[in-house]
Amino acid sequence: MASQTPAVVMDNGTGYSKLGFAGNDSPSFVFPTAIATKSQGGGAGGSGSGRPAVANKPSFLTGGAGPSGHLSGKRGTEDLDFFIGDEALSASAGPGYGIHYPIRHGQIDNWDLMERFWSNSIFKYLRVEPEDHYFLLTEPPLNPPENRENTAEIMFESFNCAGLYIAVQAVLALAASWTSSKVQDRSLTGTVIDSGAGVTHVIPVAEGYVIGSSIKSVPIAGRDITNFVQSLLRDRGEPDSSLQTAERIKEEYCYVCPDIVKEFSRFDREPEDRFRKHIVKHPNGRSVTVDVGYERFLAPEIFFNPEIYSSDFLTPLPNIVDTVIQSSPIDVRRGLYKNIVLSGGSTLYKDFGRRLQRDIRHMVDARIKASEARSGGAKSGGLEVQVITHKRQRHGPWFGGSLLGQTPEFRSYCHTKAEYDEIGPSIVRRFALLGGPGST
Amino acid sequence: MPAYHSVFLDEPNQHLIGNFALLPLRTRTRGPALQLPPLPANLTDLTIDASHESYDPLDEVLSLFRANTFFRNFEIKGPADRVLIYGILYVSEVLGKIKPGMGKREAEKAVMNIALDTNFAIPGDAGFPLNQAFEAPSDRNSAETLRQYLMQVRQELATRLLNRVFADGTNVPSKWWLSFTKRKFMGKTL
Repeated sequence: MASQTPAVVMDNGTGYSKLGFAGNDSPSFVFPTAIATKSQGGGAGGSGSGRPAVANKPSFLTGGAGPSGHLSGKRGTEDLDFFIGDEALSASAGPGYGIHYPIRHGQIDNWDLMERFWSNSIFKYLRVEPEDHYFLLTEPPLNPPENRENTAEIMFESFNCAGLYIAVQAVLALAASWTSSKVQDRSLTGTVIDSGAGVTHVIPVAEGYVIGSSIKSVPIAGRDITNFVQSLLRDRGEPDSSLQTAERIKEEYCYVCPDIVKEFSRFDREPEDRFRKHIVKHPNGRSVTVDVGYERFLAPEIFFNPEIYSSDFLTPLPNIVDTVIQSSPIDVRRGLYKNIVLSGGSTLYKDFGRRLQRDIRHMVDARIKASEARSGGAKSGGLEVQVITHKRQRHGPWFGGSLLGQTPEFRSYCHTKAEYDEIGPSIVRRFALLGGPGST
Repeated sequence: MPAYHSVFLDEPNQHLIGNFALLPLRTRTRGPALQLPPLPANLTDLTIDASHESYDPLDEVLSLFRANTFFRNFEIKGPADRVLIYGILYVSEVLGKIKPGMGKREAEKAVMNIALDTNFAIPGDAGFPLNQAFEAPSDRNSAETLRQYLMQVRQELATRLLNRVFADGTNVPSKWWLSFTKRKFMGKTL
């Protein structure tokens, strides 16, 4: 039986969790990585949300249940009183529940809550028997091996899952880019630009292994773009400048332009074509119209000109990518420039890849020219810079996991329950490289 | 990619006072500036290209204003950049005078009030905000020439800006332009 079931692919990010089955085109569930628990639960995970305590009923009101009036007697059921995902958000809006985010900066922060989050993910959302399925989980680059061991402990001992593979998100994002027609050889060498809600990472990967010393992160990502759109709306005094509206505008209308001055004059010359109107419907039936203008191209511009948004971080994304590649080992740089892969929701703007490619290429060409001049007559063969835009960018790591999890040899790369029982948690410190040379 | 610089940086034979360039303008107001030929019939303020012979620093100020106001840092690369800085700061000041409720007439009056005012700070004066970057004129005569040149810049820029702000003919100032009043180029105001 276990040999026919598809692998379960779970990508738990700081903002959203993506759950689904290997071989599918898109995740079955995407919801916030949030969990709502009873704030006064006494359970190990409740880190206290600062809500006032719900008054305990005097014991005579709890009926004849005897010890249930006592806190320790209740503990068994209180552990089960929680919600995850969107339900958690709505539960926390009401009284009695506090919201927690078990993942911080990509890494699991609270293991007890994460275990409960996973148990609901598996039993309530995916509705699978973990004994029958192999699991593919993701981890951020530079995740400490202890975290892997903790994860394995929970997956094998609490859920008794059949087999487990833990992959690095950046490597999966590279695998997801194989669907693009621009990728000819399915190599696992490339630079991954992963931009989600909170932070943007630039991660060089050589033959499936992350070059940890060269990773750089940029404190500009989706949330900053939303805030910037909001501030532009406020400057103009639009009738609705809430964060939700700003987010909708960001997602629906924004694009990357080649040059902001030219784009401004284009707005002057073709106003009908460029300015848009966004209609916000309020729940009470009223609707207001918000004009959408320069933020269409200014908002994503903060990746390329951070100065227009922030005063403390000023390095443009193309420069960061260039620095990252230049600080990687010299024999892989060519491959890193040739395969720059986008991943995450904040890379979905139209022409994002094209602008990035152009800016990086300018820098590379200028450097080659300078070194040609210094060498006195030597000619360089040039360096290919290619940014890969593909259709699976939004859930890149999840899709890469789905792609690799459906291959026939996937199971042989996993560690099984039996192996875990024999060797112990340290077994998950090493995994054979999935999708590396020799496979597929 | 940092803020945008002037295309007139490499212009030969610049007339300098202090380290401020007195570039030729396309204006009919009187003053020391050399005259550029007027716009040909097939071009407008909006469609003129930077390589055209009638393109002047004020066209440039208006086209770079919206982009450059987002920047707080600006490296001055030459005398022509100082014209650009002055122009952009002045446009900010003028925009501040136009209030959303004003009609064209009313706005014109408010704007021309400061455009025609002869009592403004020039480089070297105590009230001028950018004295670290701008040299004071060497003598009284050149100070007077600089003042007259800036006067021309101020009047011409005010007229052209009003045309842009009231471009759509509805007698309501464009909110797209007015949204820039709160931003300060280089964190400075005139």
